[in-house]
Amino acid sequence: MRLKSAQKVHYDSGPNMTPLVDIVMVILIFLMLTGTFALGEHFLQSNVPITSKGVGGVTPPPGKLPDEPLEIRVDGFTAKDQSGQTVDMWQAQAGGYTVRNDRKVLAEQLNKMRIAWNRNNTPTEKIQVQINPSRITKYKHLVEVYEAALDARFTKISFTTAH
Amino acid sequence: MKQLKMPAAVDMHPNVTPLIDVVMCLIIFYMLVAKIGVSTGAERRIELPKSVQGNKLLDPGNTITLNIIKGPRNEPFVTAMDPAKGGARLEEFPLLDASGKPLLKFLKRVRGQNNEFKAVIRADQNLDYSYIEPVLICCTEAQVKSINFATRQEEQVITKGR
Repeated sequence: MRLKSAQKVHYDSGPNMTPLVDIVMVILIFLMLTGTFALGEHFLQSNVPITSKGVGGVTPPPGKLPDEPLEIRVDGFTAKDQSGQTVDMWQAQAGGYTVRNDRKVLAEQLNKMRIAWNRNNTPTEKIQVQINPSRITKYKHLVEVYEAALDARFTKISFTTAH
Repeated sequence: MKQLKMPAAVDMHPNVTPLIDVVMCLIIFYMLVAKIGVSTGAERRIELPKSVQGNKLLDPGNTITLNIIKGPRNEPFVTAMDPAKGGARLEEFPLLDASGKPLLKFLKRVRGQNNEFKAVIRADQNLDYSYIEPVLICCTEAQVKSINFATRQEEQVITKGR
């Protein structure tokens, strides 16, 4: 038995899409291999790289009153956790208070200090927070302290030379 | 007169139109999102500290990325991309002493070309401050106006209070 459909002539209507698909696929593979995406990075901005504790201090321009300094002394150390493993920790001292490894508590303490300064007619933008770390303090801990100062709504934050 | 009839066309090919639609969407997505041939000089091996606060860089083209790593002798070591050299490869600036003269010269030269540039500090989260400090001193001595500490975004878990 002969199939009727086999006898029918095939009319290819429309443009040939095969070369287009080939080129588009090549472009797609190229983009997928060579492209790098913007990573989930964000930045903590400081307008003063490092404040004076010896070398490299920033002197205010003549006629301008220097900002009120608020020093946060940060020390890094290691301690054993509940499972007996050694972990890196930090301790911050500011205004007579000491906070260990707790960013939220430090932020609350700094916020209280900021409010007290504001009550004494010192606006927040005139307070220069100076993070004074020890040489062995880990960078991640400094970022935590920096964030605590940001949480407390301080706007001017910088690092000092190590103690 | 006999009427001529067009035979019915039999489409032997698969319909590629949806495929082309999807692929075109993907290409447009990649072209918009991917950065091809653009390098900021950031060392991807550096594990950045996590942070919740922080902002996106508004002017990323106006920055110099300083990667701070431990050198071969455990000294602070900075790599950065020199804009004057076309950004082909990372330049190395060893900081054997706290003066950091090669880095200072580089930063001063860059500032001479562009007074408003910003420095991006990229350092490993477990790096000691003693490695970062000389770089900050160099930035101050070179009168860099803005320093941006690169961090990675911490995933926030939002729980609703009852």
